[in-house]
Amino acid sequence: MGSVATVAALDGAVARIGQRFGSRALTRGASFERRSEERSLRTGTAFDRLAGGIPTGSPCVFVGTGTCGKLALALRAVAAAQREGASVMWVDPSATLDPLAASRAGVDLDRLLVVRARTREDALFAAAAGVRSGGFRLVAVDTGPALLAPFVRADDVAPLIPIVRGSAAALVVVSDEPARRLVLPTFRFERIAWEQELGRTTGWTFAVSAARGEQALFHARSLARQLLDLGVRRELVEASA
Amino acid sequence: MSRVAVARIRPGASDAARERALLSLRAALPRVGVLEQGVYACDLRGTARLLGVPLVVAARIVSVCARADAACAVGVAPGAFVARVLAERTPLGEARGLATGPREFLAPLPVTTLPLDPRVLEELSLMGIREVGAFAALDAGAVLDRFGRAAAAAHALACGTDDVPVHGVPPVRRIRAGRRFDDAIGSKEQLVFALRMLADQVAQSLAADGLAALRLLLHAERDGAPPLRLERVLLPPTADPTALVRSLRWALDERAEIGAIDAAAIEALEVEPLRGRQLGLFAPDGARIEEAIAVAQHLRGRLGPGAVLRARLHAPDARLPEREADWTEVVA
Repeated sequence: MGSVATVAALDGAVARIGQRFGSRALTRGASFERRSEERSLRTGTAFDRLAGGIPTGSPCVFVGTGTCGKLALALRAVAAAQREGASVMWVDPSATLDPLAASRAGVDLDRLLVVRARTREDALFAAAAGVRSGGFRLVAVDTGPALLAPFVRADDVAPLIPIVRGSAAALVVVSDEPARRLVLPTFRFERIAWEQELGRTTGWTFAVSAARGEQALFHARSLARQLLDLGVRRELVEASA
Repeated sequence: MSRVAVARIRPGASDAARERALLSLRAALPRVGVLEQGVYACDLRGTARLLGVPLVVAARIVSVCARADAACAVGVAPGAFVARVLAERTPLGEARGLATGPREFLAPLPVTTLPLDPRVLEELSLMGIREVGAFAALDAGAVLDRFGRAAAAAHALACGTDDVPVHGVPPVRRIRAGRRFDDAIGSKEQLVFALRMLADQVAQSLAADGLAALRLLLHAERDGAPPLRLERVLLPPTADPTALVRSLRWALDERAEIGAIDAAAIEALEVEPLRGRQLGLFAPDGARIEEAIAVAQHLRGRLGPGAVLRARLHAPDARLPEREADWTEVVA
């Protein structure tokens, strides 16, 4: 153990480096684990309390039937990545991305690279290039609605798994159907109730379920074009009790 | 202290001879600039230990130009202006240095030696100032007030304070790294792995010179096949070894077979200054925009038009959805 003077000199050096180059220039060993948690993408919603955010260096799948909110939350994740200063790749083989919805979710369209791949191979190639390059914080693959008989499925991302595990990017697959052959971290989206006013549908409430059974609840309002964060079900139950 | 040698090629020399002389000088000396047609300035700072004292270098310049069939006179002085004036007063085939200080050397010369406007020269003549020494004796502030900035610069030259740098072209340096393999490489993955080391060396050379590669060449010798040459354009130019390897890997991906490769070399064919490209030091996310652009370019080349897009909102409140936004190519 060094003398008090040595420790003080070291602290001074660390402080000077922090002031000059930023607080992220140096990492103390004790805070390294915490930093690795900080690498996950925070959407700023109850989803973060459910799953700790969207993991980077790992794939995850948003699964649910049409109009269940999975795309809305994926767009929130895109906006969150962009708020950190990063670019995002959106692989859109079904060409169904709505720029207006993305913009209303807070997505900066100038920093969203949309790849409309025409074949499964092209879609996987684009996603692999995006993850491997290190240029994107988040790569999202939207397989498209099941009605359109998508040619990319959640199972097809198997070749991307080793690539994303060696990178600092997050890979989110948005799909109507879950992976059948792969075991991937999966978040299931389920519509709980429709909201109606004057006989017309004006929104819906949906739940996001993680593997351990916990749920985060959201309410999407189509007229106001809002996504209301209702919270985690357990917390709501405890609060009401 | 003599820092600049100015070579004045004989007036009747042909264009080809002048060009040969310039090329020879640029090959022999580190920084050679062109003052005007047939007048070349050689910046000698830092060359004494390697090439000898300035007068020795001047003598070499004379011989180099003579070999190029362009006889010249060389003047050596602390600044380019004085050296040029000295060269104009030196016989062809000789090299001379200043015996006195620059101000003393210029003092007896006519004031027309200085780069002055004819109207200023006329006014000086009316004032009875006909020699550089008399002009240098004037107060610098008074010259600036009366004759303007150009005359003030000429006054500084007359006083021997010639600190205009020589705009020399730096010597061309070949940035290249190569390696011969003990066993021939047959797979792309192995070749990419081997290229990483070469890319690191090239990137180090680029970084040492503050350069970024704009064009990159992979030259691979193959067993029983003609050499493989892959040329890549890197936009934006980069000195990042990862980006260099990535570009080459993409080039290799486009080939079905690479054959058995015995030796490989990477060379930066064209470079650019690396100014303002250090965003990434402590901003790991924001600095990756260049990587994203490179990926977009690659995907555009691979997937064709209409595949790599960016959306722009026009009229969010438009009645027809197709009028709300349009899609544009990220890479034209």
